[in-house]
Amino acid sequence: MAQASRNIRNFSIIAHIDHGKSTLADRLIEYTGTLSTRELKEQVLDSMDLERERGITIKLQAVRLRYKAKDGEIYELNLIDTPGHVDFSYEVSRSLAACEGALLVVDAAQGIEAQTLANVYLALENDLEIIPVINKIDLPSAEPERVKQEIEDVIGIDASEAILASAKSGLGVEEILEAIVKRIPPPKGDDEKPLKSLIFDSKFDSYKGAIPYIRIFDGKLGKGTNIKMMSSGKVFEIIEVGVFTPGMTIVEELRAGQVGYIAGSIKNVGDTRVGDTVTDADYPSSEPLPGYRKAVSMVFCGLYPVETSDYDRLKDALEKLQLNDASLMYENETSVALGFGFRCGFLGLLHMEIIQERIEREFGLSIITTAPSVVYKVNTINQEQVLIDNPALLPPEGKIESIEEPMVKATIMVPSEYVGTIMELNQEKRGSFLNMDYITASRVSLYYELPLSEIVYDYFDQLKSRTKGYASLDYELIGYKEANLVKLDIMLNGEIVDALSFIVHKDRAYQRGRKLVEKLRGLIPRQMFEIPVQAVIGSKVIARENIRAMRKDVLAKCYGGDITRKRKLLEKQKEGKKRMKQVGNVEIPQEAFMAVLKMDD
Amino acid sequence: MPSLYVHVPFCVKKCDYCAFYSLPLLNSCEGLADYLRGVAQEIELRSNEAPAGVSSLYLGGGTPTVLSWRQLDDLLKEIHLHFTFLSGQGKEGQSFPEKTTEANPGTITEEKLKVLRDYGVNRISLGAQSFNDRLLYQIGRIHRAQDILHAVKRIRKAGIENLNLDLIFGLPGQTLEDWQDTLRKAVGLSPEHLSVYALTLEEDTPLGKKYLARDLNSFKMSDRDEAGDLPDDDLQADMYEWAVDFLSNKGFRRYEISNFARSGYECQHNLAYWRCEEYIGLGPGAVSCMRRVRSKNIEDMEAYLKDAAAGKRPFDGAETEFLTPEQQMSEYMMLGLRTEQGIDPIDFYHKFQVSIQDIYGQIMANYIDRDVLSISGGRLKIHPNYSFVANSIIKDFIR
Repeated sequence: MAQASRNIRNFSIIAHIDHGKSTLADRLIEYTGTLSTRELKEQVLDSMDLERERGITIKLQAVRLRYKAKDGEIYELNLIDTPGHVDFSYEVSRSLAACEGALLVVDAAQGIEAQTLANVYLALENDLEIIPVINKIDLPSAEPERVKQEIEDVIGIDASEAILASAKSGLGVEEILEAIVKRIPPPKGDDEKPLKSLIFDSKFDSYKGAIPYIRIFDGKLGKGTNIKMMSSGKVFEIIEVGVFTPGMTIVEELRAGQVGYIAGSIKNVGDTRVGDTVTDADYPSSEPLPGYRKAVSMVFCGLYPVETSDYDRLKDALEKLQLNDASLMYENETSVALGFGFRCGFLGLLHMEIIQERIEREFGLSIITTAPSVVYKVNTINQEQVLIDNPALLPPEGKIESIEEPMVKATIMVPSEYVGTIMELNQEKRGSFLNMDYITASRVSLYYELPLSEIVYDYFDQLKSRTKGYASLDYELIGYKEANLVKLDIMLNGEIVDALSFIVHKDRAYQRGRKLVEKLRGLIPRQMFEIPVQAVIGSKVIARENIRAMRKDVLAKCYGGDITRKRKLLEKQKEGKKRMKQVGNVEIPQEAFMAVLKMDD
Repeated sequence: MPSLYVHVPFCVKKCDYCAFYSLPLLNSCEGLADYLRGVAQEIELRSNEAPAGVSSLYLGGGTPTVLSWRQLDDLLKEIHLHFTFLSGQGKEGQSFPEKTTEANPGTITEEKLKVLRDYGVNRISLGAQSFNDRLLYQIGRIHRAQDILHAVKRIRKAGIENLNLDLIFGLPGQTLEDWQDTLRKAVGLSPEHLSVYALTLEEDTPLGKKYLARDLNSFKMSDRDEAGDLPDDDLQADMYEWAVDFLSNKGFRRYEISNFARSGYECQHNLAYWRCEEYIGLGPGAVSCMRRVRSKNIEDMEAYLKDAAAGKRPFDGAETEFLTPEQQMSEYMMLGLRTEQGIDPIDFYHKFQVSIQDIYGQIMANYIDRDVLSISGGRLKIHPNYSFVANSIIKDFIR
């Protein structure tokens, strides 16, 4: 049979954080008997501890469900999970491209959020059949009719057949499975055509190497097939093919329409890039699937070991993390203050925080993260353009003709009573108003053009706190724009600490400098000497605070019976000191390097 | 030659800041009698640890003077029966060997002083703490300022020429003026020695529970309102600095961070600790350090008595520590840098068979550059300006 099986359905779930995606996935797995309740650890799909703690999916997963439908036939349903955060929208788009349909899960009390909307648009771009599911309808505050109306008004799809469900209690699960079978089209595609398959994720296994997760559009593959990565032209021989049940289960072959994984001694996840097309090297497709692009780092920061001697361990940790995460970039960097470390590029702030936490947790390393920066385009007086992702490397003022900064288009969805608040926030963040839509009488979409650096700074936290958590945000990069930017340096005890430098709009420089020195005065403990903390632009001091000399740090007494205890006390204090970074004669705690980010606390 | 410490773990009432092992008297003489029997057994058992004798004696507690004069007599008799004391003449007329007993102003009588004198006790360390009755009451002391005066009179009358007064600063609600007044009154009594301690809050003491509580709401605010807040670090530093200046003007040398003495009256027993010399500690909870092994007696009267009666050394095995060279060096620096004399590199070499430069060269150089440490008279010392932040420096010498 040449045609892809008509009993396959490939789908994903689109939902805002907390709207119940993981719980619903669990119910589907349970209902179809893929795993028994006992086997089903809570939220199987989110298998990383971090993800479970944060209640979000970072790493994509996939699972094959076997479902006997009411029509008596057995269907193979492939659920492809997507990460639920704005940092990962490219990954989401590739996962969606691997599907023919999507469940749109909306909280019956909260309605549609900006991130959901952004992902729905991605799904519509990929021509996916969308099945609205209104979840948590057993909540007292549920308003399914209002949410239905919202879906129709905002997205413009028919919500009359929206399924009312409660993933928690299992209500509506069967109806959802039936809808998947009936409403989502089976995959098109042809087994006999040259192989064309899409990588939507990959992971690294220490025995099998890099393992791409793929969706086959045309053709087939099996053990022994020589595959070619179309972006790089690299060829590998497949030694294992399998599907997710949800554990990895070996199968003979994968055919058009199916979802699974392949393994073939691919040493580097960099060779299994999300969005790339895998074809048969001996019977290649003439053109790749559309939509591939390389992951672009949006946010950069320096990572340094607290203990200089941990440099090699940090390098090892980054190497290992990169094995699983091709979007993590890093290169050597040296800081006068912090010594040898790495400049790392991330998809966004969340991605950065995740990597940082994984290094500390999984590798037991103490690290210092410098304030995140975006990439600036600096036009020099010699008519050259340099890209700067580390403020410390900004050319001297006299050599700069102009600086351009990356801009984003931000979509903010918010209850209408917060419109004023949002406008105020965007004003503060140098945003320009683009447009505003009323979704319903009580909900609004606002569109702004904003500098990415402001988003990186503390935009999201501010947005959440000023709207009591009701606002949601999505953004996309739209290009560069010239701005009046300067580098602000911090001097401790008369010496510039390069790791604390940042680039800021000239109009904000004074205010931020003022706040930062105040913050640093609070964060840096008193030491044996008075320490002046100064904010400077070029050679001009714009703010100054003094950390007064410490006056008491002493043991009252030390006699025979007490010596061991006192020694141990000092040993402990010495350990505590290791968490500090010695810069010159000043000991700086780790938090101080992140203070630039949290100035409005 | 080791020094000898004997712990008397009884108090009329335990003070609110005290974390030492001590039991309340409870009007019963049985406990004391049992203790005296037990400690006599330990004295006999362990006298062989000092075949060449001991260099000093220190009766500490608790409160050794809660013992009756007869009990003191029994205890000192046992000690002198089994341990020989180095004899000779101390420098500048100071009696030798040094034999100290701690005392509480409320428990000193002529009879007791006579017994002490008879056994050659030549130094009394009196727990005065403060001359402010309100503060004394608040920290749970049983005596009043007036009692200190009486006690000192009796001590002098008995012919004790070496008197130490313990004083505490940084007490809840204490002002700089309170402290100055206490110091003036203390000096007015013409002691030879003063120990001046900043209050240290220990967990598991009433004062510690009150002021260390993480959750400030977990105790009754009224408790604290009554006593007042703890002086902050700046005020404590002011108190300390004032004391250093004042005492120096009155002829007291600060020979250790918390200890001041007229010339020739430095406490020999404590100096031995600070030079990391050997010591034997007797009585429940007492600590010994012999040949790089530090061991602690069981801190439980019943278990202690049982072992002693069975002729067993009443150690708490879990507390025994075999000091590594690193730990010994850490302690040597920790204690030595607290003294005015500082550290003698040659002594360091003799003790550890390695040059202090090889171990601490870089740290020393860094601090010497910044005038935090100095070398004078061939000895390494903390600059007096940094005494009250000594931990920040000593920390770097911990290995």
